[in-house]
Amino acid sequence: MKNGTFYVEKASIVHNVDPLSKLLFVFVSVAITYMLSNQPVVSGVLAFTLLLLLLGKVLHNVLPIIGLSLVLIFSIIVVQGFFHPDRSTVWFTIGSVPIYKEGFSYALLLTLRVLNMVCAFGVLILTTKPDDLVQSLIRKGMSPKIGYVLLSVLQILPQMIAATGKITDAQRARGMETEGGLSTRVKSFIPLLTPVVLNSINDTRDRSIALEIRGFNSTSERTFLHETNHFKYGFVIKILLAASLAAVIAWRIFI
Amino acid sequence: MTKKSMWSLKFSTAALVLIPAAIGINYLGKLFAELLRLPLWLDSIGTVLSSMLAGPIIGALTGIINNIIYGFTASPVSFVYAITSGVIGLVVGIMAYRGWIASIGRALVLGLVVGVIAATVSTPLNILFWGGQTGNIWGDALFATMIAHDLPLWFASFADSLAVDVPDKVATVIIGFLIFRNLPKNLTHMYDRRSEIDRL
Amino acid sequence: MKSIRVEQLKYKYPGSDHFVLDDISFAVEKGEFIGIAGENGAGKTTLCYALSGLVPHFFKGGYGGNVFIGDMEVYTHAMSELTARVGLVFENPFSQMTGAKFTVYDEIAFGLENLGVPRGEMHRRIQECMKQLKIEELGDVNPFSLSGGQLQRVAIASVMAMKPDILILDEPTSQLDPQGAEEVFQVVEQLSAQGVTIIMAEQKIEKLAAYSDRIFLMNQGKLIHKGTPAEIFSRDDLDVYGIAPPVYTSAARSLKFRQDPTANLPVVLEEMPTSGLEKFSLPTRHVEVVDVKTAEIVVSDLCFGYEKDAEIIKGIDLELSGKPLAIIGQNGAGKTTFVKLLKALLKPHKGKITVVGVKTTDTTAAKLAAAIGLIFQNPNDQIFKSKVIDEVMFGPLNIGQSPETAEANALKMLDRVGLASKKYENPYDLSLAERKLIAVASILAMDTKVIIFDEPTIGQDAKGKVKLAAIINELYAQGKLVVCILHDMDFVAETFERTVILGDGRVLFHGETRAAFGQEELLRDAGLEQPHITQLAHRMGYPGILLRKSELH
Repeated sequence: MKNGTFYVEKASIVHNVDPLSKLLFVFVSVAITYMLSNQPVVSGVLAFTLLLLLLGKVLHNVLPIIGLSLVLIFSIIVVQGFFHPDRSTVWFTIGSVPIYKEGFSYALLLTLRVLNMVCAFGVLILTTKPDDLVQSLIRKGMSPKIGYVLLSVLQILPQMIAATGKITDAQRARGMETEGGLSTRVKSFIPLLTPVVLNSINDTRDRSIALEIRGFNSTSERTFLHETNHFKYGFVIKILLAASLAAVIAWRIFI
Repeated sequence: MTKKSMWSLKFSTAALVLIPAAIGINYLGKLFAELLRLPLWLDSIGTVLSSMLAGPIIGALTGIINNIIYGFTASPVSFVYAITSGVIGLVVGIMAYRGWIASIGRALVLGLVVGVIAATVSTPLNILFWGGQTGNIWGDALFATMIAHDLPLWFASFADSLAVDVPDKVATVIIGFLIFRNLPKNLTHMYDRRSEIDRL
Repeated sequence: MKSIRVEQLKYKYPGSDHFVLDDISFAVEKGEFIGIAGENGAGKTTLCYALSGLVPHFFKGGYGGNVFIGDMEVYTHAMSELTARVGLVFENPFSQMTGAKFTVYDEIAFGLENLGVPRGEMHRRIQECMKQLKIEELGDVNPFSLSGGQLQRVAIASVMAMKPDILILDEPTSQLDPQGAEEVFQVVEQLSAQGVTIIMAEQKIEKLAAYSDRIFLMNQGKLIHKGTPAEIFSRDDLDVYGIAPPVYTSAARSLKFRQDPTANLPVVLEEMPTSGLEKFSLPTRHVEVVDVKTAEIVVSDLCFGYEKDAEIIKGIDLELSGKPLAIIGQNGAGKTTFVKLLKALLKPHKGKITVVGVKTTDTTAAKLAAAIGLIFQNPNDQIFKSKVIDEVMFGPLNIGQSPETAEANALKMLDRVGLASKKYENPYDLSLAERKLIAVASILAMDTKVIIFDEPTIGQDAKGKVKLAAIINELYAQGKLVVCILHDMDFVAETFERTVILGDGRVLFHGETRAAFGQEELLRDAGLEQPHITQLAHRMGYPGILLRKSELH
């Protein structure tokens, strides 16, 4: 995880697609799975997303990301499976607990959708450098200032995390306990968090100054150090994605 | 104080730079809460602080960007809740401006309001994206119990969100308030949109 | 045309009635090197802000008088117009990075992109600046993985790439170790030689004396005196303004070089004679030194590393008690790790540490807090209360002092560090140097038997250093064991009679400070230098090791 993001540096056809097309893909792919309640179609979309991950040589990298959503998926299966409001067709029983088909079918659909969502975002975040995405958005008219904010979080966060060790040491050195009963732990929250808050807010002054003296508020037409990377197939992909979305919308309306 | 200044879209450099710092504070709040094994998330203290310091627009931006970044670096599921985070920033910013952080009692009310609004915004998202759960074990247990008793889905889902959000947001706003109240003047001045150069 | 013209400049920060700049006027010629001297709080930083336009454009507040950069009036021009003419570099190397660029090369480009410099020109300028600042090999590196000295040079490159005529440096080395500071001074000297107008505020007076064409002496917001380094530093009233003259000047004064009381004294090493101390002998000490019995730390066969197979501490045996002790050594020698082990913040892999009879492996840092106090380098890592007094009372209350005792101790220590009058202020409304003293008071108020300081002198001015030295001696007189990590060799020589030299996780030397600074080869291997005064005495023919200004007669 370079720079704290999921980006995986590889040479692949998916890496070469322009970031905005991938962003559009995430949107279209998620939208389709939520517009259609048809399990085979949703499975198909998921399979396509997984294929992209495979082409991007990042299929195994998506596993830890899915792992983070496991609690949610587990909860979907248990809650929807057992307690879905629509409980008519008994699928089978475990002991005396009846399992209903409707619930599990719905749980399966939701799980497929969540998996697709996570994997579709995976396609974007595993194969796109954050700076490339932000640069593309800025060239498309997003404010460079918002671009600055997005990228600076990625740099500042590791710095702030590094500071927490020092703060914990400094407060323990003054006799503050971080282990013990709930009240001891609650009491130590403020002494631990406040120095980071004060520190980082104090740093914003220096950083604002650093930006001001580097012409951050300049009104001149800005230039870019790096030329636009020559991403491929951007136009075709965007057309195809838009067409698929339109088709699905049409299907929903007319069929 | 005019209304215009609260909604101004002309951000000062200091206010913009506050956003990444606030997102970092969100993350560290969560980190320390985990470290200390506290039963809350406390992952929006920075959003709340940025709203109190720099107003609703910066607060809302902090919330939204927080979830986008979190989606990129931790869990894509958090993209869905970008709207909730944005609304939290917005509500705190507006209410703080209207005087709801004048005392700890008022801050408590603000916390409750934020909790309820957060739950209200999250409920349709939860229903749309995952059939009503929040992914929090206790809240989801409540949800399951309620739909098992044939209460309406939206109601159960809302109760789930309330149970999860209200205690957390009350604690978050109170902590944010305590920190905000103690911030030194020379830092809060930077975000004061009213200050002008006084030519002597 | 003058490069900078300042006319009756007055300024106060918003919400304050106090003029931090009070009726300042001066002019600077193109290519001049101006050094700004003055104690902390004199107004040096605010003057730097005013010259770069941040005052008033960024800080707002009350602003009177005029500042001209060339023919451009600061008040009527926006920051982005001014940045192309004036570059500013300030203390903290980390917070000067924009934070949005992932390589040094891109970081330098940030300002140029904002100004709309064409791409080809941009590459040309970046490469030129990287060469100038000796950071060519760092182009692809993430700025946040650099050392302070490297970062500070990246910061200078980033503003120099914007081609300003004037470079303003506000204590650019105050947060750096000696090596990093030297790297920065070298490039500043080079830029000056290339004709850049430079304004530098700095506490390292020897450097100011060596580089400056003129010195501006500031005090309480006023520009007190302007003159050549020799004129300014030969004055008899410098201590009134809280600054100490260069060590060469004090030495010349002690040795009575000056026949005519109005004549100037030497201010740089090169002006000092290369002889005269051949027959010098150290004065016998008049003061009877009483050996005080203090608490004790015993370290035996200590080993530690953060990662397996990468030991940082490689077998240390030390018995610490008695006179205050300085620990010196290069970055990475293991100094901070060593004191964290003493404090039980880290547990040894091998060997043991006994602090006042307690083994550190049998206890926790929090429990040991009543016995051993550790004052960290960065006070911002601990400060969380909104009143100075509450911050100082936090530790004492944690270790079980009653609120009354804790308050009494806190007040006593605040008085000792000179901050009693600020006890109800918010620590973050005070300067970093003052916050550092708050951190000192907050540990001293715990009344521990052992006190460890990690780099207490960084960021302190001459007055602050004198205060710290007095505190260290008092603690010893009270029977406390004082251990102090230091980079400032002059301070070590002036204050400590015992020194440990650490190098690569081992004790290279433990003994009398005078003997430590006599180990020339060992010092060189450990990346350390002799104190200025020692080098001076050596140049003047003294065969022994001179440590203190007071030893010259």
